[in-house]
Amino acid sequence: MKPVGFSTSPNIVLRLPMWRSRLMLFLLFVAFVALVIRAFWIQGPGNGFYEAKAVKGVQREIEMRATRGKILDRNGQLIATSLEAKAVIAYTDNIPNDLAPEKITQLAKLLEMSEAEIKKRFADERNQVFLKRQVDPEIAQQVRRLEIPGIGLNNEYRRHYPEGEAMAHVVGFTNVEDRGQEGIELARDKELAAHPGKRRVVVDRLGRIVNDISILQFPQDGQDLQLSIDSKIQYIAYNALKSAVEKHRAKAGGAVVLDVRTGEILALANWPSYNPNSRKALTGEQLRNRVLTDTFEPGSTMKPFPVALALEQGKVQPETNMTIGQKLLVGPKPITDTHPYGMLTVSQVIQKSSNIGTAKLALQLEPREMWDLFTAVGFGQAPNIGFPGTVTGRLHPYQKWGQSDQARMSFGYGISTSLFQLTRAYTIFARDGELVPTTILRSPDYKPGTRIITAKTAIEMRNMLETVTEQGGTALTARAEGFRVGGKTGTSHKVEGKGYASNKYRAFFVGLAPISAPRIVVAVMVDEPSVGGYFGGQVAAPVFSTIVSETLRSLNVSPDINERTVVQAPDAQPLTGTLQKVALKQ
Amino acid sequence: MNRATLSLLMLLLICALSLVTSQQKTRKLFVSLERAQAQERKLNQEWLRLEFEQRSLSKSARIRDVARNQLRMSPITPDRTLYFKEGL
Repeated sequence: MKPVGFSTSPNIVLRLPMWRSRLMLFLLFVAFVALVIRAFWIQGPGNGFYEAKAVKGVQREIEMRATRGKILDRNGQLIATSLEAKAVIAYTDNIPNDLAPEKITQLAKLLEMSEAEIKKRFADERNQVFLKRQVDPEIAQQVRRLEIPGIGLNNEYRRHYPEGEAMAHVVGFTNVEDRGQEGIELARDKELAAHPGKRRVVVDRLGRIVNDISILQFPQDGQDLQLSIDSKIQYIAYNALKSAVEKHRAKAGGAVVLDVRTGEILALANWPSYNPNSRKALTGEQLRNRVLTDTFEPGSTMKPFPVALALEQGKVQPETNMTIGQKLLVGPKPITDTHPYGMLTVSQVIQKSSNIGTAKLALQLEPREMWDLFTAVGFGQAPNIGFPGTVTGRLHPYQKWGQSDQARMSFGYGISTSLFQLTRAYTIFARDGELVPTTILRSPDYKPGTRIITAKTAIEMRNMLETVTEQGGTALTARAEGFRVGGKTGTSHKVEGKGYASNKYRAFFVGLAPISAPRIVVAVMVDEPSVGGYFGGQVAAPVFSTIVSETLRSLNVSPDINERTVVQAPDAQPLTGTLQKVALKQ
Repeated sequence: MNRATLSLLMLLLICALSLVTSQQKTRKLFVSLERAQAQERKLNQEWLRLEFEQRSLSKSARIRDVARNQLRMSPITPDRTLYFKEGL
């Protein structure tokens, strides 16, 4: 038998059918084709996904910062500004569980938080929590130096208000998101707001920016805003008001200073106030901008308007004698005066603030004409100064007035107004009969007004208002050193429930100065004075006096009484040595 | 033929190298630009901060306090003021 080699042994030779190897070959071929197609797909049309991944690795979109606009006073002094600050963020997943306790202590001390509070934030379920926002950059640096893993810093801004509480109600404030919440910050948020930009950049392995690709959106800083407020005058008004409110243990107060020529609001002060830089535990009482948002019955400060109308219509002259008497029977309750007067001239009716006299004059007027005047000077309409929360006050239509309503309205009951409306209305006396448009933004040009009464009537009224501050008037305390002033006191019972509270008052004084050429109108309101008198002449007039003398001095207005003027030739040299001493002695 | 290929290759190499150097230059310039911009931002912030500080030091409340208490000054009053008016 012929030996058979192992490999050729017919017993072990596999007789595989030919189709199996062919199939194998075919499958392999198909697999290769599939690979080739896939490769082409990835290289060609289907590359979006991978390209995006690659881009994500090296490209970033980063924010370009923009700053909120500054708020300046009329002289360019800062009232509000944004400075860079940091938000301290904890990435809770990255914070080690065995973090040294003294690090937490140090962190707590830097951020002025309790350790328990920090630990609670660390334990938060979210993987990213704010520990503290608007942290001072220097403190943030110290936090960074602690080198706690999982603590990051984010850029943000913090708003600063250097004038503090004196200016709080005018400027308002922003929240942590840099949006206006109150005052001008709210009213002018659109212009002040910053619009951060965005750009696309290439970063290297360490996250450093190595190239710019494009700016997706240009950053835009907020616009600066210049107010009509003079921070010096604001401070004067705030301070005078504050000391009066404290002295008389009153509930609240407000004061306005208006430039008669330009209609600009030079000061707008409120008490109680708050510090806009740290606003913890703020109450609504503190936030209220009483000058613009509170309405009240103006009491006797209303009297000059019906009297002016009676003069305007030629019904009376300032020297016309009137019989006053004990009481005037109109409506359910007789009208009385604090002191009974027999006879008074029209001028004395204002000087002594006689309710009966004013009511008698008002009853000679047509209700519609009185309503027309009140409307023309702005009662019953919200002042258009672009400020949040301004109110309209209440002025009933004249068709609904009874005789008693008309009589009582003439001395400020049954009508309500804000202190600001009242201030503006008084510009008709200061501006020789014109009502001035008012603004809270700087616009130092002379503004043409709307004529309401003739110049003759306005000047007559001004002289009457001056007598209020002279011997026999209700407000000798309103006098300001060096300046002739005029104005009207007011004391009104506060409305409580359905009637008037017998022992709660508001004291007012609204006036203008200097009488010879009025430059400012000043209004003061003190709410519920409880110590040292409650009459406008006792409580509000002294505040007026302080504000007027200091404001006029600050505005460089020369005094119109008792001035010691030295006429100086245009080319004169300043006085020196002995000459100066002699001049000062005179 | 051979020569042309070689010179083209050389040209290609030179182009490639110059691309690399210009890229490098771009990056360097870009980095310094970024740095300058960061500096600008920083200085700007510094200026804002100083402006704020100056304002805090010059606010009316502080001036009044310093004038009254430290410098012993008192407010001017019309009765001890001489007013100068320009003559005709």
